[in-house]
Amino acid sequence: MIPKELYEDVIFDAIKKGSTVIAPDVLSAFEEAIRKESHPAAKEGLTKTYESILESAKKENPACADTGWPIFFFQVGNDCVLEGGFMALEEAARSAVRRATKEGYIRATMKHPLTGFDPGDNVGENVPGFTYKFVPGDSLTVTYVAKGGGSECFGGTRHRVVAFADGVKGIEKFVIDSFVEATRSGGICPPNVLGIGIGGTANIAADLAKEAACLRTVGSHHPSPEFRKIEEDLYAALNSLGVGIMGIGGDTSVLAVNVEYAYTHIAGIAVAISANCMVARRGTFRIHGDGFVEELDDPDWFGRRE
Amino acid sequence: MAVYHLKTPFREEEIRSLSVGDVVYVSGEAFTCRSRLHRYVFDEGHDSPKAASDRDLLIHVGPIVIRDPEGDWKLVSFMPTSSIRFEKWGARSVETWGLRMIIGKTTMGEETMAMMAKKGCVHVSPQSVSPNLWIDHIRIEGVEYFEELGSIEATWHMKLDELGPFVVDIDTKGKNLYKAHESEVDEARIAALKQLGIDPDYQYTKLY
Repeated sequence: MIPKELYEDVIFDAIKKGSTVIAPDVLSAFEEAIRKESHPAAKEGLTKTYESILESAKKENPACADTGWPIFFFQVGNDCVLEGGFMALEEAARSAVRRATKEGYIRATMKHPLTGFDPGDNVGENVPGFTYKFVPGDSLTVTYVAKGGGSECFGGTRHRVVAFADGVKGIEKFVIDSFVEATRSGGICPPNVLGIGIGGTANIAADLAKEAACLRTVGSHHPSPEFRKIEEDLYAALNSLGVGIMGIGGDTSVLAVNVEYAYTHIAGIAVAISANCMVARRGTFRIHGDGFVEELDDPDWFGRRE
Repeated sequence: MAVYHLKTPFREEEIRSLSVGDVVYVSGEAFTCRSRLHRYVFDEGHDSPKAASDRDLLIHVGPIVIRDPEGDWKLVSFMPTSSIRFEKWGARSVETWGLRMIIGKTTMGEETMAMMAKKGCVHVSPQSVSPNLWIDHIRIEGVEYFEELGSIEATWHMKLDELGPFVVDIDTKGKNLYKAHESEVDEARIAALKQLGIDPDYQYTKLY
């Protein structure tokens, strides 16, 4: 049985890491973008962002002031036993969010949607968010994502339904047009990690897009050739737009395009996009059944594919 | 394009001499504002923050500020936020508060731009996300409306020391830096669609 004290500490560490330490795959993507950038202003912007990211890990300071929505992704082993059960897990997560807010690792960003009331601790109706996936084994894997507001609110995260007849062309047109709109004046903090969900109901597509944006490593590819091709084609096309860092013009507009899909009713194919900020933030730890805690660079969310 | 090192209070003529694409570093006294303060003042009729009466530099930002063990405010993180979401209140903020410069992100709309041209105010944005390079250039001097609005929507009084670089994206001549770039991206969009084998005039099947 995994003790409550242990998983609450690990959840706190995942929040702290998620907000302050940018994962190696994202750092590598920055290094490559800086190396190949031909626009001086964009090169400077990328370099300063990269330097700030390195500082944030050293100072244990948030990589961006907008730490956004606190969201948790739990991979729960089928044989995982938690002290207090799953309601205790969610209570521990809320408690860790409160502590991380108080200590300045995340900003008190969550408000009442109509009144703007600020609880001051990022905990309120349906927030923080929880998503679960059940996997073999006895471990609990905790991933915290600090989902920034820029990439969420200004057009980088949305969906439409295209006809089966429109196929890949309809899907790709929606992605290109949406991205162009959303990056006007840099609203979504490009270059983004762009997640795309294809199929399922609208909410399934949106969840897949979010998970593709936030939980897949930059540089990973979908194992199915037809979806990998969409990733590669869109990556090339989006990077030919010249949007650049913060929309000022540059060679890199997306750091990655990650596609996930679900089987669907072919009357209409839901397509969702979810942009993650260039400062893509996630922190993952795995607690094994014997209490051993492992730090993971890759959340491995889609690792166990059917 | 030129680089300027400016100090508050700004002179109207120095602000009017700035053009889109110029880069500025800023020193002096600023105050902060986000959605709730705009609504609090302009929709609900509360008093403007006192800082607005003697500071002409507004920052659209929700900083992370905590109290250190001695009880002093400590700035943890700072990244200007998207200004376009305040467009509804933009022109009134420029006029009522006598602003000369707004540090924000993205852009603002036609109404605010017109008021900025009329009154002599520019909008500037960072071209990076680098809070950890900025925080050492900012000192927290005080706060208003903390109890009423919470830590990130409150009006923070900030003392800036060579904070930057920021690019002028709206100047007083009615120019917007992003407008010119948008047409380039629009052209690139046509090419990107063609690259994917999609006719630029492609019409979706109308499902709704």
